[in-house]
Amino acid sequence: MSPPSLSAGALIVAPVVLAIGAVLSLALPRNMLRAAAAVVTQLVACAVALPALVGVLHGRAALTGTVRWSYPVEIITLRVDALGAFFLMWSLPLILFATIYAIGYLKPYFAAGRNGGPAFALLNVTSLALFVVYSADHALVFLLGWEISAVAAWLMVIWDYRSQRIRFAGFNYLVSTHLGLFILVAAFMLLYAESGSMDFATFGPTLARASRLRGTLFLLLGGAFGLKAAFFPFHSWLPRAHSAAPAQVSALMSGVIHKAGLFAFLRFLLLFGEPAEWMGWAVLSVGVASAFFGVLYTSVQRDVKRLLGYSSTENVGIAAIGFGVGCLGLTWKVPALVTAGFAGGLLHLMNHGIFKCLLFYAAGAIWRATHTVDMERLGGLFRRLPIAGFSFLVGSAAISSLPPLNGFVSEMVIYSGLLSGAAPSAPARAALVVVAAVLAFVGGVSALATTRAFGIVFLGTPRDGTIRVHEKTPPTMRAPMLALAFLASLLGLFPLLGLSLVRAPVALFIATPSELATSGIETIARVVAASTAAACMVGWLLRRGSRQHVTWGCGYTAGTPRMQYSGSSFAASFARFFGSFLPESRREHLPTTIFPQERSHLGTHHADAVETRLYEVLGRGEEMITKSSERIPEDPRFAFAAGVVALAIVVGLLLGGVR
Amino acid sequence: MSLLVHVIALLALPILVIGVVQRTKALWAGRRGPPILQLAFDLVRLLRKRPVYSTTTTAIFRAAPWVAIASGIVAALIAPLLGRPGPLAMRFDFLVFLYIWGLGRIALTLGALDTGSSFEGMGASREAFFSTLVEPTFVLAGGAAAAFTNEHSFGGLLVLRPHDPIHAIAWSLVIVALFVVTQVEAARMPVDDPTTHLELTMIHEAMVLDHCGPDLAAIQLASSLKLTVGLSLVAALLNPFTRGGAPALTAATSVLIVLVLAVVVGTIESLVARLRMRVVAQYVLAGMVAAGCALLATTFDGGGAP
Repeated sequence: MSPPSLSAGALIVAPVVLAIGAVLSLALPRNMLRAAAAVVTQLVACAVALPALVGVLHGRAALTGTVRWSYPVEIITLRVDALGAFFLMWSLPLILFATIYAIGYLKPYFAAGRNGGPAFALLNVTSLALFVVYSADHALVFLLGWEISAVAAWLMVIWDYRSQRIRFAGFNYLVSTHLGLFILVAAFMLLYAESGSMDFATFGPTLARASRLRGTLFLLLGGAFGLKAAFFPFHSWLPRAHSAAPAQVSALMSGVIHKAGLFAFLRFLLLFGEPAEWMGWAVLSVGVASAFFGVLYTSVQRDVKRLLGYSSTENVGIAAIGFGVGCLGLTWKVPALVTAGFAGGLLHLMNHGIFKCLLFYAAGAIWRATHTVDMERLGGLFRRLPIAGFSFLVGSAAISSLPPLNGFVSEMVIYSGLLSGAAPSAPARAALVVVAAVLAFVGGVSALATTRAFGIVFLGTPRDGTIRVHEKTPPTMRAPMLALAFLASLLGLFPLLGLSLVRAPVALFIATPSELATSGIETIARVVAASTAAACMVGWLLRRGSRQHVTWGCGYTAGTPRMQYSGSSFAASFARFFGSFLPESRREHLPTTIFPQERSHLGTHHADAVETRLYEVLGRGEEMITKSSERIPEDPRFAFAAGVVALAIVVGLLLGGVR
Repeated sequence: MSLLVHVIALLALPILVIGVVQRTKALWAGRRGPPILQLAFDLVRLLRKRPVYSTTTTAIFRAAPWVAIASGIVAALIAPLLGRPGPLAMRFDFLVFLYIWGLGRIALTLGALDTGSSFEGMGASREAFFSTLVEPTFVLAGGAAAAFTNEHSFGGLLVLRPHDPIHAIAWSLVIVALFVVTQVEAARMPVDDPTTHLELTMIHEAMVLDHCGPDLAAIQLASSLKLTVGLSLVAALLNPFTRGGAPALTAATSVLIVLVLAVVVGTIESLVARLRMRVVAQYVLAGMVAAGCALLATTFDGGGAP
């Protein structure tokens, strides 16, 4: 069996196996059988597809396959080149981990008699849809895969459909993703009108030619994909959806499904050829805004899953900073910038998939054990849930880009592009240094936010005495967490592993990528790991004869868990400093006398400024329409005459406009 | 050979620097002051003690001081401690340095939250907040020096010198910015008073209230190492022998300048009161503006990269 036919076959076999798995999950009688069908078919699909995909990433030709369909489509061509292979290579295993995790997470629902078929079938359908999106070469096939993945995600989000809040969150997500779809369809219609066919290859000349249409198409495509990937200011649906969805669904949405938006953006960027300079600066600015605002909102949330949702906005912003640097490199014809920007951005997307899934799985473990993710009520969970705590710690360290984990590698590569000084003019060079400073700020705030989340939830003592940990985390939930923690450490200690995987996608942007200075990062990661281990060993040896006592309280002996720092107090001084970006609503009734006779309370709430303003504007618009329509008299003869006039105007426009 | 010298320096210099700072403060206060090697005696005394751990704490509290000292030592190996590039110097090492300092700080923050006490939580919250303002200051200052001199590492600090007005402006502003960064990271006046005994006024000290014995020794060595490394970064800019001097001469000059800067730190601590918490944030912001102006100065250099 020669390799080419095996690899091309993989492109057809894997989706078919996934489709069979989806059907079996719905058809089989018992929940365990349905879960087994989903897991086994996904394992088979991974085993078949991964060798072929890794082959493409190591330089082999793109996988192609054709499927014959009936009229009017006739032939569907699928083509997985290095870019699609990269995204697909880590998406499939992450969906497999999510399926395994779902078995343990949804067990209480199964015990109550709920049919788990749709949950597992939808996970297979998501895998299938991503296959279609990452291999599509034709606009209609792409849109089909896009829409299937969006609807499947919506159905997975509203798993707990009996709650109105969750149904609303799902509906919010559905509307937002379809807004993106409409913008995308508009862009495709414009391209079809210019080029005459729906194949991506024929879009190339239109997009590569400099014209006003090119700028419009860039904005339309950027808007559509920005909405899907939850860039600021189109991000408000994401935290709501994450807070409502089950943990494995949130993990997949953040880690895998929304990366499809960035993949599509890169696919079209390849077709743009050499983008104009303003496009690179636009991508860079959107990235900076998303990272800045995303991380600010992360630091003030009290719902752990909402916090992780805003953190996703921050991280796609960081990846977009990398892509912006790459675009500028393409315009200025500087290979070092192109390599560093795209390699760093792509690696960051993969790393983000890994550590975001890890964090969401840990959050799901918290939910399953305590039935709450409100950090103001939790505390001291590290003793009761050690594996979830360890996973959250590794995920937090990775997301704050600390050595020796994987986030450090990708951020260093992006920094090397920003600070390389390779810009053609001194002001441009200075602007890139300012972006690097903003990236450092984002890293610092991310450290604050994740330290806060981990510290308040897992350390200290429980803040609400009524919270009890019911049972330990089951093994099907622990295994994916530990596997992802292992992957994060592996990619951090061996940076060349990750960088070798992005080499082929970067080669699509520039024929001969320049070398990245990675030997230093490798040395440092190992030195940090070794020295930390050695120092902890020394510390462990030196603490013979240690005693136990209570926490020192400066002579105050009646401390209660409520006196600990809470999440909002930890972030209070920071939030006050950045108060103009983080509107805070405060409800307080403070004590006025020395011995208060009545109960006092203080509550702070940080709403999403974009969402609040959006609803304000929509509400005011609705008010305006209602008020103006109230002024039309309710006389039926008047209404009839008005309708006839309007109809005449519309017909006149149509007749006059048609040539 | 140079690695050995560097390691001896990073273990011995912090003790001397803290000794000089204490002596200066004592002389300003009209006392004779403790011996120069007092920190060494304190560390030995602490190592002999038995630690007491709170029942609330977990393994994270026990590991935190050792992660902090490990990160401090690795960062000191990257920094140009003796006026020459460190043993672990590499391209863009000032960013690696920043994140390793961040690793130590996060470890101490988590150790503080582990105790379940509001004193430590308050210290951790303040430390985390001020460090979010320090990180962009450091990148702006280091990035300005690195891009200006095309060195792309701490070597930029060793090369940047005031030979014309633009370079002089950038050089002096980078010195100011790095000095402010040192004051915040090492918890010195006017940001934090190391001798206060009122917890509500503490930033760094409140974070480590519950540590004792060998753990406290590790933390004290780590924070004195931070002060030494910060001052040596400023000394790297002031050292006239960094290019083309014998290594021994460069090292000796660097140590001398660090000790002079320690006297300056001691003088500031004796003469300046600690700023109010809200004003501390504005002070760090002033450092960021200084670094930003240094970056702005680089745009007048004319022409970009080769």
